[in-house]
Amino acid sequence: MQTRPPAIQLEDVRLNLASAAGAVNILNGVSLSVAQGETIALLGPSGSGKSSLLMVAAGLEAASAGRVTIDGTDITHMGEDDLARFRRGRIGIVFQSFHLIPTMTALENVAVPLEMLGLDDAFDRARAQLGAVGLAARTDHYPGQLSGGEQQRVALARAMAPQPKVLFADEPTGNLDGGTGAEVADLIFALHARAQTTLFLVTHEEALARRCGRIVRLKDGRIVADDLTEIGRT
Amino acid sequence: MNLFTLALKLARREMRSGLSGFRIFLASLVLGVAAIASVGSLSQAFLTGLAEQGRVLLSGDVSVGLVHRETTPEEHAFLAKYGRVTEVISMRGMAYALKNGKTDDRQLVELKAIDNLYPLYGNVGLSPNLKLSDALKCESDICGAVAEQTLLDRLHLSRGGLMRIGTQTFRVTAVLANEPDRISGGFSLGPHVMISDAGLKRTGLVTLGSLIQYSYRVAMPSTRTPAQFRAEALKAFPDAGWEIRDRANATPGTSNFISQITMFLTLVGLTALAVGGVGAGQAISAFLDRKRNEIAILNSLGADGGLIFLAFFLQVMAIAALAVVIGLAIGAALPFLFAQFLADKLPIPADFKIYPLQLALAAMFGLLSAAAFGIPPLARAREIQPANLFRDLIARTNTRGRWPHLLAAAIAAALIVGLAFLLAPAPVFALEFLAGIAAGLIVLRLVAEALRFSLRWLPRPRSAGLRLALANLTRPGAHTVGVVTALGLGLTLLAMVALLDRTISAQVQNELPGTAPSFFFVDIQPGEAQAFDKAVTHFKSAQDYRRTPMIRGRIVALNGTPARQAKVASDAKWAISGDRGITYAATPPPGTDIAQGQWWPANYSGPTLISFDAALAQGMNLKIGDTITLNVLGRELTGRIANLRNVNFASGRQNFVLILSPGIIDKAPHSFLATVRVDPRDEEAVYRAVTDAFPNVSAVRVKDAIAQVNGLLQQLSLGVRAASLLTIFAGLLVLAGAIASSQRARLYDSTVLKVLGMTRGRIAAIYALEYGLLGLVTGILALGAGTFAASVVTKQVFQVPFVFDPQAALLTIVGGGAVTLAMGLIGSWVALAAKPSTQLRNP
Repeated sequence: MQTRPPAIQLEDVRLNLASAAGAVNILNGVSLSVAQGETIALLGPSGSGKSSLLMVAAGLEAASAGRVTIDGTDITHMGEDDLARFRRGRIGIVFQSFHLIPTMTALENVAVPLEMLGLDDAFDRARAQLGAVGLAARTDHYPGQLSGGEQQRVALARAMAPQPKVLFADEPTGNLDGGTGAEVADLIFALHARAQTTLFLVTHEEALARRCGRIVRLKDGRIVADDLTEIGRT
Repeated sequence: MNLFTLALKLARREMRSGLSGFRIFLASLVLGVAAIASVGSLSQAFLTGLAEQGRVLLSGDVSVGLVHRETTPEEHAFLAKYGRVTEVISMRGMAYALKNGKTDDRQLVELKAIDNLYPLYGNVGLSPNLKLSDALKCESDICGAVAEQTLLDRLHLSRGGLMRIGTQTFRVTAVLANEPDRISGGFSLGPHVMISDAGLKRTGLVTLGSLIQYSYRVAMPSTRTPAQFRAEALKAFPDAGWEIRDRANATPGTSNFISQITMFLTLVGLTALAVGGVGAGQAISAFLDRKRNEIAILNSLGADGGLIFLAFFLQVMAIAALAVVIGLAIGAALPFLFAQFLADKLPIPADFKIYPLQLALAAMFGLLSAAAFGIPPLARAREIQPANLFRDLIARTNTRGRWPHLLAAAIAAALIVGLAFLLAPAPVFALEFLAGIAAGLIVLRLVAEALRFSLRWLPRPRSAGLRLALANLTRPGAHTVGVVTALGLGLTLLAMVALLDRTISAQVQNELPGTAPSFFFVDIQPGEAQAFDKAVTHFKSAQDYRRTPMIRGRIVALNGTPARQAKVASDAKWAISGDRGITYAATPPPGTDIAQGQWWPANYSGPTLISFDAALAQGMNLKIGDTITLNVLGRELTGRIANLRNVNFASGRQNFVLILSPGIIDKAPHSFLATVRVDPRDEEAVYRAVTDAFPNVSAVRVKDAIAQVNGLLQQLSLGVRAASLLTIFAGLLVLAGAIASSQRARLYDSTVLKVLGMTRGRIAAIYALEYGLLGLVTGILALGAGTFAASVVTKQVFQVPFVFDPQAALLTIVGGGAVTLAMGLIGSWVALAAKPSTQLRNP
C-alpha cells in the first residue's frame, strides 16, 4: 500500500533577507513535516518568524536554503510564475488583513481563483461557497461595504472555493473583535472538517492554537517545541 | 477560460475604480495626440485645398514658363492644339505717381500683363466690380491698370489717379482685391499691378535682355491630361527650356513649405508625446505602486506574471485608447475652429474636413507611445512578490523587468521613429531631430539621477528648512528625476528655439549692413550704362559700386549628358531646374574666392571658359576641365570649367553661380545688374535720382527686401515658439502629476510638522525652497542642453556663428524656476491648509 506524502515537508529551511542595515536572518534551519489533513498551529512572539515560515511553506517566498515540498512536489527551486501556477487549486490562503480586491464584488473575489483554474461554473461555485460562509445575501457587495468579519469570511470562501489541499491562515482573527473572531475561527475549523483540508494556522492566541491537533512553537526563527494537543492525541 | 479572456475580465473589474491615478497619463496622451492630429488635419486641409484649387491657382490646367522669350509660332501652335491659351507676362518695374503732370512718389512693383482670355479659371476680384478687360482698356494716351491697395497707399494715390510705368501713363481704375493665381507666382518684392499686354508694349520696358517671364496657361478639354501634355511637349520640344507645371502641382513651393512646416510641427508633437510619455510612465508607475497589494493578492491566488502583466497592460491600453479618442476629437475639431475664425484671412485655399489618414496616424503615434512608456513599469509590476502582503518590504524588488517586455517597449519606440521617418519629407532631419530628443531625454535623466544621488550624499545642511527641502527631493518615491527630465526637455526645446531665433535674426540684421549693398538695380540697358554709372557714382557716399552684365540661361547638359538625366545631388538640383543669372568677366570680380583652378588671362578670347560654384560642382560631380552646356536665349553654348569658386550667398552681394569668359557670351543681348552701398542718409536721394533718370530700371532697396524677409522670419519664429510651448505644457503636466501623487505624503508631513510646532509660513518656505531648487536646476540643465543643441544646429545646418542670448538664458532659468515654484506651492496648498486635528482623527 502506497503511503500518502506529507502535505508540507520543510527540511532545514533558512531565510535571509537583505535590508539597508544589513542581512537579517529570519528563519534559521526549520524542519517540519505536516501530514495530509492535519491541523497545525504555529505559535510564537512577534518577530519569531511565524509569518515568514508560512510564506515559505505556501510558496509565497523562496527559501534562502533548505528544501520545501508540498503534496509531494519539491517547490524549492520553482520560479515565481511556476509557483503561482502551482498554488492554483492546491493552496488557499487567509490573511490577517483580509486582502480582498477592492474593485471586485464579494462574488468576483471568490470567483477569481476558480476562473484561473479555467472552470466554466466559477461563479456558481463561488456563490455556493459564499453561501457556505453565510454570505449568500452579500454577493454583490464590494469589500468596502462589508464589515471586518464579513470580509474575512469572503476571504475564507475565496481560499476554500478551489478545494485546496492546504489552507494557510495567517492570524485570521487578528483584526477582528472577540465575538467575530470566534465565529470566523469556527468557520475555518468547520470548513476544514468538511473538506479534510490540511490546516496551517499562524496565531499568537493560545486558545485558538489549541483547537488544532498540533502546536509548533517558534522563537528567533527556530522551532523550540512541537507538541500534539489534546485534540491531536485523540 | 483562456489567458486573454481572464486578463480582460480582471482588467474590467480593476477599472471600476475609475480614472483616478490615470488623469496625468490621460492628459499627456490627449495633448500629444490632439497636437499631431490637428497639425496633420490642418496641413492636409491646405494641401488638399491647393490641389483642388490647382486649376484656379495656376489659371489653367497646365502652365508653360519661359524666361526672356516668347514662344515661337510652332511652340504656340503646339500649345493651342491642347486648348485655349492665355499669355501672362510678368516682370518687375517702377511705378511713379503722376501729380499735376509730374512724377512724385515711386515704388517697385510686380507687373503682370494679361490678354483678354485671362483668367482661364477663377475670377479676378476688383473693387469696384468692373469687367477686367474694361478696367485695363487703353484709350488714347492712357491705359487702365488695377493695383493692390498697398500701392495706392504708398504712392498716395486714390482710385482714378494716374501713374507712370516705363514711358506709359496708366489710370488706376480699380483696386486689385483678388488675383486667383497669385501664390503660384512666388516671392513678391512689391505690390502687384495688372495691366493689359497692349499696355505693357507701350511702357517700353520689354527689350531684349530685360528680365521678363512669359507664362502660357492652357485650359484643356477633359479628353486631354496634363501628363499627356508633358510627355508630348518633352518629345516635340526637348530643348525649349519650358518649365511645365500642372494643376496637380500648381504651387510646388507652397506645398513643399507646408510639408516642411508640418514635419517640424509633427516632430514637436512627438516631443510633446515623449515629454508626456515620461509623465505617463511615472503615472503608471505610481498607479501600479498603489496596486502592489492587489497584484500580490492576485499572485497569491495563483495569477502568474503573464496574467498580471496582461491584465494591467489591457487597462493601460484601454485608457490610452480613451485618450486617443479624446485627442482625435480635439485634433479633428481644431481645424474647423481655426477655419471659423481665420478662413477669410488665409492666403491660400484650404479644404477643412475630417482626414481619416491623418487621424489614424495620430492615433498610431498615441498608442505606440503609450506602449513604449507604459510597458517598462508594467514589466516591473509583474515581478511584485506576494511576500509584500505580509510586511513592508525589507528589500524592495529592484528589477527592470524581463527582456521580452523591454524588447516590446523598444519595438514600439522604434515604430514611432520609423513612422516619423517614413512620413517626413526630409527623413534625415526627422531622424536627427528624434535622435536629439532621445539623447536629450537620456542626458537629462542621467544628470537628474546623478544630481539626486549627489544631493543624498551631501553633508546635511544646518538649516532645518534646507535639510527638509533637500530630503523631499531625494527621498524614495520623489519625482525629482521625472520632473527634471520632462520639464527639462520642454524647456530645452524652448531655449534652443529662442537661441536659434536670436542667432538667425542677428545674422540677418547685424551681418548684412556692414557688407551688403543698399540697392540692387535691375534691367539697366547697355545704351544707358555709362550714364547710369555717372548718376550713381556722382554721390559722394557711393561705395563698392559694381555693374555686371546679366544674362539668363539654363544648364542643359553636363559633360554632354542632358542635365535631367545626369546624376545630381538633391541639394544641387535647384541649379538645373530653371533659368539662372549668368555673367561674364575678364578678371575675377572683387571678393572672388577661388577654391580650385585658375582664372583666365585678362585678355583671353578663346573658347568659352567657366568659373563655377564649388559646392554645386561637387553636387553635380563636376571637376576642372568638365563641360557645361547652357541654353541662352534659345541658343546652346558649351564651356569648359576653368576654376571653382566658393560662393557665399549669405554675403548679400552680387553672387553668380556661373561666370563665363568673354568672347561669345558678351555678344548675346543682355542688360546689367548694379549694386551700390551709400550712406543711409543718401538712400532716398539716390533712389529718386536713379528712378527719375532711368524709369525702366527697377530699384530694389535691400533694406525693404530684408524687412520683408525679417517679417516672414518673425512670423515663422513666433509659430515655432508657440509650438515649442506645447512641450512646456506637456512638461508642466508631468510636474502636476508629480505634485498630485505626492499629495498624501505632503499632507502627512505637514501634519507631523505642525504637531511639532512648525508654522504654515515655515512649511510653505520649505516647499518653496524645494520647488524653487527643482525649477532652478531644471532651468540650468535645460539652458545647457538647449545651448548645446542650438550651437550644433547653427554650425551644422545654418553654417553661421552661434550667438548666445543672455535674455533667452535668463528666461529659461527664471521661467523654469518660477513656473515650478508656482505650481508646487499651489499644489501644496491643500497640505498647508489642512487642520492637523482632522488629519490625526482620519489619517
